[in-house]
Amino acid sequence: MSVIDILTRVDAICNKYDRYDVEKQKDLNVSGDDAFARLYASVDSDIEAALQKAELASKEKSKASAVAINAELRRTKARLLEEVPKLQRLAIKKVKGLSTEELAARNDLVLALPDRIQAIPDGTAAAPKQTGGWGASAPRAEIKFDSDGQFDNEYFQETETSSQFRQEYEMRKMKQEAVGLMVSLATNFDIPQDQGLDMISDGLDTLKNMAHDMNEEMDRQVPLMDEIDTKVDRATADLKNTNVRLKDTVNQLRSSRNFCIDIILLIIILGIAAYLYK
Amino acid sequence: MPVSDPEKLIAKADKLTKLSLTRWSADWRNATLLYEEAANLFRVAKKNEKAKEAFEKASKGQEMLSSPWDAAKDMESAAALAKELGNWNEVSDFYRRASELYMECGRPQPASDALVKAARALEDTIPDAAVQLYNEASAILEEDGKEQMTFDLYCAASSVYVKLENYSAAATSLLQLGLAADKCNATNSQCKAYLGAIIVYLYAHDFKQAEKCYNDCSQVDAFLRSDQNHCASKLLSAYTEGDIEEIKRLAQSSTVSNLDHVVIKLARKLPTGDVSALKTDAAKEEEEPLDEDDLT
Repeated sequence: MSVIDILTRVDAICNKYDRYDVEKQKDLNVSGDDAFARLYASVDSDIEAALQKAELASKEKSKASAVAINAELRRTKARLLEEVPKLQRLAIKKVKGLSTEELAARNDLVLALPDRIQAIPDGTAAAPKQTGGWGASAPRAEIKFDSDGQFDNEYFQETETSSQFRQEYEMRKMKQEAVGLMVSLATNFDIPQDQGLDMISDGLDTLKNMAHDMNEEMDRQVPLMDEIDTKVDRATADLKNTNVRLKDTVNQLRSSRNFCIDIILLIIILGIAAYLYK
Repeated sequence: MPVSDPEKLIAKADKLTKLSLTRWSADWRNATLLYEEAANLFRVAKKNEKAKEAFEKASKGQEMLSSPWDAAKDMESAAALAKELGNWNEVSDFYRRASELYMECGRPQPASDALVKAARALEDTIPDAAVQLYNEASAILEEDGKEQMTFDLYCAASSVYVKLENYSAAATSLLQLGLAADKCNATNSQCKAYLGAIIVYLYAHDFKQAEKCYNDCSQVDAFLRSDQNHCASKLLSAYTEGDIEEIKRLAQSSTVSNLDHVVIKLARKLPTGDVSALKTDAAKEEEEPLDEDDLT
């Protein structure tokens, strides 16, 4: 297996587990200085989002929504343009472990930003970007930009070499980190998973035991229920018999003559009682 | 009826039952009624001794009226009062009598229930009598074919045996539990019972018995296929290797934690005695044949 294969595979694995590698995250931040890289990354992602939205806007049928999206895009662009000076200031700062080529690369990136931002189509006419971009970078001391295009080629060449260096630097870092990543995966990632799985298995054991016990309890209850069933059936039959007989008896007694006599006697007694208590 | 003095009721009832020149036959019906009333009044008044006597007499009256069910019920009440009084002999006697009366009615279930109540009452004071009662109750149920009810009884019996430190008997009753469970196809209870028995033998530091028990139980298909079997085999192998950590770990495992409380307590205390002694024993047995070879 050649080195390139190893590198590609390591690359793929690293990409997969990037979010778990705490050290790498820290390095990402440290390889730029914290503020710069973070800010740059955020601005970058904002630009990407804005570009996507611009695409959406261009596809939009209804004018109103297109107008709304364009307005938002303009607002985003304005905000990003404000961020650019901050980035410029951060880019100039020297950080330990950073080569001068890196620094130069950073400056170039920052310079390219305003261009990119302006390039986001927001429905307005394309403003002349180049001059604006170049103009902004004029006050910096290290890399001198004359506003004419002559230096353009050289400028781009420098960026090429610096980006090569950057790539090499990253490759070296990745090779070093590949081994560290494997170790950190083993230690940071698997053990919490194992513990979690252990707890789950314990819980499942308890559940299984409870389920078995419930099953047996149900089996135990079945004959008892059958007994109850027969007894209750007998009781209901008896009740039905009794009710029918009671009904017959009450019907017999209900003959109207007896009823009237009862009422008359009651009235007489009440009359006597009232008389006595008056 | 207005609240009458229970003593007077008793006296009246006694008069009704005592045969004399004027009375040729005892009037048990009324007497029983009076006895029961008096007994209830005594119970409410918390005069347990008198209440107990009244219940006894009421029960006798019910017997005379040939209603064993009521007689048994009265006997049980008398026994409960005796329990409160702490007359343990009377407790067991009354409950036994009640159980017999229930059997007369042809109702084995309440009969065994009565014996179980007696056993529970006597567990703390006279454990020997308690286990006997448990065994009798289980026998009654098994005759009736209701093995499913016996699980709890065997469990309780084995816990009392453990309290008495009669470990072989405890293991035996757990094995009987296993047998009853087998008849009902209650495989989970059966396997738990067998594992419990093995643990009891190990606690008693009787390794040979434990192994024998394990071999016997392995004949049973249901046990062979179960988690408890794995746990038991691991436990036994941990013992042969003298691996105390392993034993402790197994005792904490979920399989053991699902067993009966008493058995769990025993398991947590494993290993008792010297596990390494078992290891050296096993090793010595292997060495001896070699020595003999050397001599010859």
